[in-house]
Amino acid sequence: MAMHAERSAALHELTSAPIQHAFNPYEDNGGTILAIAGKDFSVIAGDTRQSQGYSIQTRYARKVWQLTDRAVLATNGFAADGNNFVKKVKQRLEWYEHAHHKQMPLKSIARMIQTILYGKRFFPYYVYNILGGIEEDGTGAVYSYDPVGTYERESCRAAGAAQSILQPFLDNQIYFKNQTPEPGAEPFIPGNLPLSTVLALVVDSFTSATERHIEVGDGLEVYVVMKKGRPTDDLVGEGKLAPGMAVEELDALGEGDGEKTFLVTRSLKRD
Amino acid sequence: MDALASSLSAPPRLTRDLNEDGDDAGSSAEWGSQGGFGNLHSGFVGGMTVPRTPDPAAFLNLHTDSMSSNPQAKIKLAHGTTTLAFRFKGGIIVAVDSRATAGSYIASGTVKKVIEINPYLLGTMAGGAADCQYWETYLGMQCRLHELRNKERISVAAASKILSNIVYQYKGMGLSMGTMICGWDKTGPALFYVDSEGQRLKGDLFSVGSGSTFAYGVLDQGYKFDLTDEEAQDLGRRSICAAGHRDAFSGNTINLYHVKEHGWDFIGNYDLSETWYEYTQKEKGDKMTRVEAPSPMAVEA
Amino acid sequence: MNQHPAMWGHPMTPHQAFNAHTAFPLATPNPMRNQHASSPVSHTQQPLVTGTSVLGLKYKDGVMLAADNLASYGSLARFRDIQRLHPLGNHTCLAVSGDMSDYQYLKKELDGLLREEEALSLSDSHPALHPSQIYAFLANLFYARRSKVNPIWNAILVGGWDATKEESFLGYVDLLGTTYSSPTLATGFGSHIAQPLLREAFEKKAGIDGKGELLTAEEAEALLNECMKVLFYRDARSLNKYQIATVTKEGVQISESKSAETQWGFAEALRGYGAQQQ
Repeated sequence: MAMHAERSAALHELTSAPIQHAFNPYEDNGGTILAIAGKDFSVIAGDTRQSQGYSIQTRYARKVWQLTDRAVLATNGFAADGNNFVKKVKQRLEWYEHAHHKQMPLKSIARMIQTILYGKRFFPYYVYNILGGIEEDGTGAVYSYDPVGTYERESCRAAGAAQSILQPFLDNQIYFKNQTPEPGAEPFIPGNLPLSTVLALVVDSFTSATERHIEVGDGLEVYVVMKKGRPTDDLVGEGKLAPGMAVEELDALGEGDGEKTFLVTRSLKRD
Repeated sequence: MDALASSLSAPPRLTRDLNEDGDDAGSSAEWGSQGGFGNLHSGFVGGMTVPRTPDPAAFLNLHTDSMSSNPQAKIKLAHGTTTLAFRFKGGIIVAVDSRATAGSYIASGTVKKVIEINPYLLGTMAGGAADCQYWETYLGMQCRLHELRNKERISVAAASKILSNIVYQYKGMGLSMGTMICGWDKTGPALFYVDSEGQRLKGDLFSVGSGSTFAYGVLDQGYKFDLTDEEAQDLGRRSICAAGHRDAFSGNTINLYHVKEHGWDFIGNYDLSETWYEYTQKEKGDKMTRVEAPSPMAVEA
Repeated sequence: MNQHPAMWGHPMTPHQAFNAHTAFPLATPNPMRNQHASSPVSHTQQPLVTGTSVLGLKYKDGVMLAADNLASYGSLARFRDIQRLHPLGNHTCLAVSGDMSDYQYLKKELDGLLREEEALSLSDSHPALHPSQIYAFLANLFYARRSKVNPIWNAILVGGWDATKEESFLGYVDLLGTTYSSPTLATGFGSHIAQPLLREAFEKKAGIDGKGELLTAEEAEALLNECMKVLFYRDARSLNKYQIATVTKEGVQISESKSAETQWGFAEALRGYGAQQQ
């Protein structure tokens, strides 16, 4: 008993109130993603920087993934959750292909992603997803999710670190929010922008986000999914893209008689 | 020697660690047409991963921003709402706003907060968007199974009770939903309130969400059972409009549905700001005519 | 019970906490809740004996890794002759920072796994594991354990030579299951101190796209020596006794321990570094 009585106050504090150092299974790896749906195409983009706090872990980490010939998924948030989530989605898509001898339609992928995310409602994936692609009726589509699976089909969506920089810009340029046509001019019709305009908006979005957000930069990857039979001459060919940009057509994952997917790349500032 | 032999022959222990969920994830339920909805035949809904901590609910509360009460948490879940539904002689009016907020950020202004469970049943979304969307979709599956098994449509009472029973199983674990299940069955128009605390109430008039008090204000002063269809629809629209105007967490657009004997009708989507402008203009107009009307009489007198 | 809508979904305070045995309504046990109610699991969730940062670098003939020989016990330099570079098979090498007991566990289990693989390769035309496959295994393992809230408390660099693709491999994986690759890598304190030096030297020769000529073996080793010295100057948990591993198509080679020439004259003039107070 005497020993206890003689304990110094400092020692007592140390032993009676141990510092709670609980393991935190989450981390924010920065970066930003963005998708815009057109009438017969869909554009899904993401930067390639992966960071932790003020440190850049790598200047090239993939955030946008081709799932099928008509679906592309962008993930953002905690990179480990993102990578493992995509792995799970791809596995389920493969099982589907084995069972049904066809690729899963976009709207079904959209619902499946909800169920996978909600399956971890009590230990969520810290991932914001945006799914883009072509529906069975040939229209361009974008689906956006919260970390536990709420989803909604939209015309455009930005997520991640620079969401609050990009989304108002897209609202203005894609939905024409707070814009009024000149007197006598044609009214604005959202969802009809040509691919070249959309691509320019995407590039401007990311260069601007790079200027104003420290977690965005290094590189840009833009996936363009086109409807079956749509001409590709507004994307491929001499002088179609701004200087410093490159485009390649990606190989089909399935039968390869339908939609086309292109990957447009560009560097972003590295500071 | 045995130990050495077994260490050389037994598969390494760490391969057991590779399953990230720590239980039988990747079961056959994930295959084919059940599409991850788990075991439909058993009462308990399986396939839900729970963090392996002494208190899973505290874990969830630490890492997610539930009802904006934990703003420093990284995982923001969409919240904030005004929804209402009321019964009247012409059926049920369901009206909701379309705003989703994560902290003070407006995550979306185009949310569908009326969930079309099937052509005869509607559910509303308040609280956690994913909880409402997921479980009401799941309820739609259960209602279809009821139809196949019993050769008749499920009653609204039974449907709402299925939902209530499901969420009660997860009570205390962090689910968050306040929903109204609306439909027309053999008993006529029926309306039930179901929430994630396990409460289930039958009633004529409900409003749920952060803007519900504003909606109730307008709703209560205008509500009668004998409203015409037009009057009822306008009351629903006007109530959401008032809530969206005064509650920062509600707004953007109004979605209006009318449940009738043949099922529900989608009445329309209305921009909230424009609607508010129309109502205030109309009121101003009313006042003008009221002031002007007596004047010619005064001249006559 | 608070029925206010703002309180939905809020876990109850401990004194009103849910009791699985009195409130669960069904005859069948609730598998999810019982698992926790009956046997709360708690893990030791902090590292004890630790190794400080490790470095990795791609160069002309392969990959180089560096790690010092210290295992600290808090601020005590407890074990001063610990090897933190570990070869796996012929063409892969780990450099491990973080908890040393978790490192020993990993070593034992991975060696066991590779022994099985080797046995298979003797009796069959079973190819040896590529560095990328070992890396994928580690990434899965680390992510699975973090998902059980029972992490393996390490940050690891995997360096290797892919004999099929004829190219080098360098990857990072840590206790959260986070993974990434880059031509230069560093864990912990080294990501702040050494990574900028590594990047600068790498990009100076290879260009920012890394497509130019890479550093030679001599240049790479000199660069790592310099980085280990700079780390020793400022990392209080480091030791001026370290090893360098080189992984090339020839195989893994781990150097003898060595020291950097240090110069402490500057410290005299630095307030708070040298002898003088205030």
